[in-house]
Amino acid sequence: MHLKTKHLALFVATALVAASATNAAAQAGAGDEGTFFIKGGTVVNPGGQKMPNTNILVRNNRIVEMGPAAQPADAKVIDATGKYIYPGMIDANTGLGLGEVGGVQTMGLRTEMGEFNPHIRALVGLNVESELLGVTRMNGVTSAITSPTGGVISGQAALINTAGWTWEDLSVAKSAGMVINLPGSGGGGRGGGRGGRGGAAASPTLVADFERFMTESKEYNTARASGSAKLDLIYEAMRPLLNKQIPAIITANGEANIRAAVAFGEKWGIRVVISGASEAWKVRKFLADKKIPLILGSLESAPGDDVPYDEIYAQPGLLYEAGVKFAFSTGAGSNARHVAFHAALAMAYGLPSDGALKALTIWPAEIFGVEKEIGSIEKGKLANFFITTGDPMDLRTQVVEVFIKGRMLADDDRHSRLYAKYKSRPLPIKP
Amino acid sequence: MRILNGCTLAVRALGVVSAAVAVAATPTRLAAQDLAIKNATIITIARGDIANGTILVRGGKITAVGTNVTIPAGVRTIDGTGKFVMPGLIDAHSHSALENGINEGTESVTPEVQVQIKNDDPVIYRALAGGVTAALLLHGSANTIGGQARVIKMRWGQSADEMLFKGAFRIVKFALGENVTQASSTAPADQRRFPMTRMGVEFTVRYWFQKAKEYDQEWKEYRDAVKTNANAMMPRRDLRLEALTDILHGDLKVHSHSYRGDEILMLIRVAEENGFKVHTFQHVLEGYKVADEIAKHGAMASTFADMWAYKAEAWDAIPFNMALMSQRGVVVSVNSDSDERIRRLYQEAGIGVRYGNMPVNEALKMVTLNPAKQLGVDKMVGTLETGKDGDIAVFSAHPFAPDAMVEYTIVDGKVLFERAEANTLRKIADKTQGGTR
Repeated sequence: MHLKTKHLALFVATALVAASATNAAAQAGAGDEGTFFIKGGTVVNPGGQKMPNTNILVRNNRIVEMGPAAQPADAKVIDATGKYIYPGMIDANTGLGLGEVGGVQTMGLRTEMGEFNPHIRALVGLNVESELLGVTRMNGVTSAITSPTGGVISGQAALINTAGWTWEDLSVAKSAGMVINLPGSGGGGRGGGRGGRGGAAASPTLVADFERFMTESKEYNTARASGSAKLDLIYEAMRPLLNKQIPAIITANGEANIRAAVAFGEKWGIRVVISGASEAWKVRKFLADKKIPLILGSLESAPGDDVPYDEIYAQPGLLYEAGVKFAFSTGAGSNARHVAFHAALAMAYGLPSDGALKALTIWPAEIFGVEKEIGSIEKGKLANFFITTGDPMDLRTQVVEVFIKGRMLADDDRHSRLYAKYKSRPLPIKP
Repeated sequence: MRILNGCTLAVRALGVVSAAVAVAATPTRLAAQDLAIKNATIITIARGDIANGTILVRGGKITAVGTNVTIPAGVRTIDGTGKFVMPGLIDAHSHSALENGINEGTESVTPEVQVQIKNDDPVIYRALAGGVTAALLLHGSANTIGGQARVIKMRWGQSADEMLFKGAFRIVKFALGENVTQASSTAPADQRRFPMTRMGVEFTVRYWFQKAKEYDQEWKEYRDAVKTNANAMMPRRDLRLEALTDILHGDLKVHSHSYRGDEILMLIRVAEENGFKVHTFQHVLEGYKVADEIAKHGAMASTFADMWAYKAEAWDAIPFNMALMSQRGVVVSVNSDSDERIRRLYQEAGIGVRYGNMPVNEALKMVTLNPAKQLGVDKMVGTLETGKDGDIAVFSAHPFAPDAMVEYTIVDGKVLFERAEANTLRKIADKTQGGTR
């Protein structure tokens, strides 16, 4: 965090007195779990008017009061006068907690052996002390999809908060979706193979194997429903998908792959979320009619040589106008913290400000069925929000405080620690 | 891809230019133009911002900037109401628009080679569409002492020779750390080459500069001797050692790829012991740890905004690096090293405000005046001042605002990118009636 209390003092001496009271409350670890009364801030929710001078009472992880609420005696008071409060942002595709240093193989275990791994769960492999989680949350990204990769069925993605004590504590949706790469979908559309993470290789055998796996899963599901099959951990893992409790997150780039993914969902009667979605603008009306939501691949991508220079930046605006629901994603993890700047690129090229905010908050929550828990600042929801000096998409804005699950977080991420240390290096002695 | 930087050992596959991007290079655009932008906020970099200002470019040079500028009759005038005008952005580290290889990876010391420009690489057009008007095109980082670079202006539509930025420094790439050592340490034992460690990298630099000093002395003695003895024996000419002596004499500037604080300090000390200067540290991700030493040596720094965790030596990279080095008196630029980031270099500069709260115009200097200093072109570009080149980017909003987009990019007074005339997605999408076909 960057203008958090102790840094604020270095830049803006006048703010020191007001700010230091809040810093005392922030603790390391998963954050201070007290009762908080955040007063006087302007709440900005997706799809709503700005709500000036709105108090928020946080207790037991949740927002328990909002509006002109009175200040309870036991609450720690955070003065947000003149500041803005945004719902925590959500990066809808990352490997957060599953990998650390890219170039060090043993620090990134995201891809399991084999092709059909519905039984593999991202959540149980999460390192809550990942340094990537720390820097992510400090820029207001409070939740993320973290997903396994590889094979045809990679496994179950989890929707997590970016701070907590254990992976159970982190979990918002243990199994948010089943990650699938349709055989033959590798490479993506005409855009130079800009596929995000991995479409599967083409192989007639693999296509046949996948067809058989789906058929057997469906038969097993029917048999289990009637109580006539023995428990099989692998097929069992397919049931929530086949019963529409969770969606398939299908990697598809390019018009043909997107249509194939939609057809796959219709054939097997499952819900589909398209991930990657380059060239989705070409079928935006089709996607809107079918109510297929998208997780857009990183906007920080170079386009293919044969497409308009602004295709990647301008696509979200076109999708918004057509009524397609989508979320932003960074794809990896180390810069999940900057998902808002992906949204800013989309805004510059036609996405309205409120559409950008929706795609960073309530839409991913809706896509993964957790809109009653996160995605906006409302009474009863988890207290996932952050306090800023302005629009989080604006590079000049400073993030002042971050709350996740009702806990106020300290400046204890790797980057803030190193910053504090080297900022305090004594200046050289002048000879 | 975020992780892949241009300094990998791979030779780039080069694409074919298509009609979709090759729209700007029409003959009329390359003709000299006089033009003015009026009623705009002008971010001069040199003397603050001018509200409601006018900038006039004639014969390729800026002839007036201010609030009281008379626009001569017949000069093309762009209404800049609500827009922000700033110096064309400069990318101090790129491997775009090159061909025939980026790395001469056969040996670890190759300052005699030079990169070759690919003038029709579509990245040039896309860089213009992000407001970039000049760049340093560097050799890769496979070698301790790599090849020579080129400084170009984004003169899209002109020949490779015409793109060269005349008057810029001659620059050579050095590299430290994993890229130099990894090529060997991961190769089969019989294919390895020295050096495989940071210790070996240090020795490599010392060894070759010792040789260069001896070579320099040999030639000095010959030039002295030949004054009195026409039969004095001329030394054998060695292009590698000749390039190294150019470094010793300050004629060839060292830009060194570096990550860790220890290796940055190492090169500073080796340079000081051998009588040369490190002109600019590239990447310099842990520069914040040795910022005082960098400043004292007189080196500059060109870094990434937020790249970290993609390899072991990038583990202590922090986005506060730009702010910390600036505060310690280092001239800092932020670079792309990527066909992707070169499209939105202004955003990368803004990261310096988000982290460490750099003053806004200090952050903008990181993509204008500061890289101009690092490339040796600050007398010609990098600020909007009378007499400087007409290299200008016009944004729809402040470049750090979330809705900022480049509308015009002007090089030598020529409008080489114009959003209204570009082949945009919106224009194509409007023809497809909502995407159903």
